[in-house]
Amino acid sequence: MVAVGWTSKKFSGLNDSRKVHVAMHRLRVNGIEYDVDVPGGTPLLWALRDELGLTGAKYGCGIGACGACTSLVDDRAVRTCVSTVAEQAGRRVTTVEGLPVDHPVRRAWIAMDVAQCGYCQPGQMMAAVHLLRSNPDPTDAQIDEALRDNVCRCGTYHRIRAAVRLAARLGREAAE
Amino acid sequence: MITRRGFLAATAFVVSVPMPVSAAARDLRPNVFVRLTSDGEITVTVPRPDTGQGARTAAVLLVAEELSVDPDRVVVEQAPGDTAKYGPQMVAGSSSVQQMFQPLRTAGATARCLLVAAAAARWGVPSGECQARDGFVVHPSRGRLAYADLVADAAAIDPASVPVTLKPPREWRVLGRPRVRVDVHDVTSGKAKFGIDVSEPRTAVAVVARPPWLGATVASIDDAAARAVEGVVAVVPLDSAGVAVVANRTAAALAGRAALRVTWTGGNTAADSRDWLTELGQALPAPPTAPGTVALQATYRLPLLAHAPMEPHNATASLTADGKLTVWAPTQDPGGTRERLAQILRLPLGDVSVFATLAGGGFGRRAEFDVVLEAVTCSRAVQRPVKVLWTRDDDMRHDSYRPMSVHRLSAVVGPTGLPTWRSHEVATWPLTVVPFFNDPALVRASGDHFPYRVPGEVSIALRPAPLRTGFWRAVYAGQFGYAEECFLSALAARAKIDQVAFRQRLLPPDSRLVPLLRQAARAHCRPGHHRGVACHVDYDSAIAVVADVGVRAGRPTVERVTAAVDVGVAVHPSGVRAQVEGGVMDAVSTVLGAQITVREGRVVESSFRDYRWARIDEAPDIDVIIAASDRPPGGLGELAYPPAAAAIASAVASATGRAVTGMPVTGEVG
Ligand code: FES
Ligand code: FES
Repeated sequence: MVAVGWTSKKFSGLNDSRKVHVAMHRLRVNGIEYDVDVPGGTPLLWALRDELGLTGAKYGCGIGACGACTSLVDDRAVRTCVSTVAEQAGRRVTTVEGLPVDHPVRRAWIAMDVAQCGYCQPGQMMAAVHLLRSNPDPTDAQIDEALRDNVCRCGTYHRIRAAVRLAARLGREAAE
Repeated sequence: MITRRGFLAATAFVVSVPMPVSAAARDLRPNVFVRLTSDGEITVTVPRPDTGQGARTAAVLLVAEELSVDPDRVVVEQAPGDTAKYGPQMVAGSSSVQQMFQPLRTAGATARCLLVAAAAARWGVPSGECQARDGFVVHPSRGRLAYADLVADAAAIDPASVPVTLKPPREWRVLGRPRVRVDVHDVTSGKAKFGIDVSEPRTAVAVVARPPWLGATVASIDDAAARAVEGVVAVVPLDSAGVAVVANRTAAALAGRAALRVTWTGGNTAADSRDWLTELGQALPAPPTAPGTVALQATYRLPLLAHAPMEPHNATASLTADGKLTVWAPTQDPGGTRERLAQILRLPLGDVSVFATLAGGGFGRRAEFDVVLEAVTCSRAVQRPVKVLWTRDDDMRHDSYRPMSVHRLSAVVGPTGLPTWRSHEVATWPLTVVPFFNDPALVRASGDHFPYRVPGEVSIALRPAPLRTGFWRAVYAGQFGYAEECFLSALAARAKIDQVAFRQRLLPPDSRLVPLLRQAARAHCRPGHHRGVACHVDYDSAIAVVADVGVRAGRPTVERVTAAVDVGVAVHPSGVRAQVEGGVMDAVSTVLGAQITVREGRVVESSFRDYRWARIDEAPDIDVIIAASDRPPGGLGELAYPPAAAAIASAVASATGRAVTGMPVTGEVG
């Protein structure tokens, strides 16, 4: 499943009105390399969604104020709406689509039936993945601290907290 | 739009392929909600959109129960807008489960009875000897036949010739049992498709420059810089809403809007929401003559609130040259939207298709279709499908807000401290998105559900709304119920009577609230905390809420909330709890700080940075007790917000020693 050289030209017919030549940027997303043909200042979020068709990361504000677009870049949790393609080219990007089916965070989110509308959840889950990588056994206060910038308008926080605790346990059990 | 469940969802994109006629003819489609194929596929068509309230889950469970199949085997299909075919489709009035309960169960039961009749005929035994069980029809001596093998025979039977019986509740195996939502795999894998994820071929994206002040209109447009942005394909003036920049991609549309120069004229650059609140205070109706001495009077001032669904407004429209319109949108009302579009655009209804995607929250806002019209205008202009995306800033600053209101409550109390008479005067605005709502009788019907045995009067003054107002979860009950329960708490505190006992004494003895109050208080019981209590009855459901508030670092913090709820049959208990939890969190947010303010003609708040919606570190533990019931389901989505807000506000008052004077309870209102 290698797609090197897969470019946004796939959407041919959409790009005929380009007026300025733009550069190719190589993005590594969920283990696959893509060359995208967009201005370097394009927010990573829109490159993921509009060029690669990866719509798991969500637009909630575009200014880094809600967390809906949160994805991992190398080992950091990044607000992809305020981070550009040029900055992240060549790094390892992981979106919610890249989480394995049996990932503890996914299993916990399912078991706790966390989602209401579900729109914020990819961002919540990726923030949780990031937290658990650095802290496999967080306290409630640490969970709150790590996820406080991820808004859930539906109010699922109390299930999110329980799901992070469960994911931590599942992760530790898997490690043993 | 089709969503497959579980394993299928995790592995495959669903492509709809036209079925060969012969195969289609063998399908069993006894009604518009259920379809079984001879390959064993079972599809449920969900008439109402899922905005997070769990309509898809409820529909699947209702059909699966009566059809006697594992809900995990069912494929979910979202019905397109077509009220003639599917009945009312609007997500409103907390009615989704309530109104699907009978038709969807009947749909499943009809299919089951036909399959049983087909098996009985094949075996040559009476139907009464056969039973449907887990995807098979079974007979004590003949063995069993899979539904898939019976589909063709069942399809040949006239549904009207077979009596349809619903299962008695004691035989239920699916309804009321713990299970997770049907779309849980889609949501956690990123595959769930919301309106913003629609990607029809050749779709362009538009963002709109909107008036910077209330009421401003476009004077002139300089679009040279916007058109120079690579990827921008058109700049399209919209009626009064503004100017759309249409581009091949979202990023280009956003850059194009940033480069667009619009000169605006008119509008009210002096408008200030604090003045509006003052004016409403002055507009309060005169209190009626009290039949005794008024022992307590309180005034509550409530702010503007925005819906701010997590998925900002958007819609995709494709209007072709030959006048065929297709819309994909996270709408709360696909059927109504289709009818209104046909009317406004003068298109035959058959030429308009509206597909409801998943919606990232609704809370009332997505019953409107303004964004759909914007998409239609853009599509007409560029002759391509166009997705209009509201930015978060658009969404917060151009919402149809919950109206401001001012409430004055008075009570005459008897020797025991219990009120013997009450009055409640309200000054507020109508809902501008539904002109017929400019009627105090309708406002009262929406807002006033006072369940206690205290005679009195409610009078309402409606003033012209200075900005767009609309349905916000619980509508006027969110204001009336809040004021009434906060006032009742103040009366109980004045009488030095326990909040629960006080309410129990005022309720009719047969009220559903009496046991709910008892259950909530008993489950909640935890000493040493400041406690607030409130009740609410609406949509044939009832709820009692108890909240604990502490003070951390000088700030009130909601620590724990317990709600006991009677919603009749709880079709999906996890979903029932989720709706109550959502209402509680709306209450935490709005009581402790979220509000919309207007200064110098502009809405100040533009994102979750300044619209102070609660974060996870402000989220209390929430316990939801679901009362056992065999009544048909009541409504739920809007039930918990008013009493949760009042209970939390009253607990804050108890914690801080300062009486509640409005919402939010800290800082300036308006
Ligand atoms: S969309 Fe990126 S933080 Fe809100
Ligand atoms: S589940 Fe709807 S915003 Fe979080």
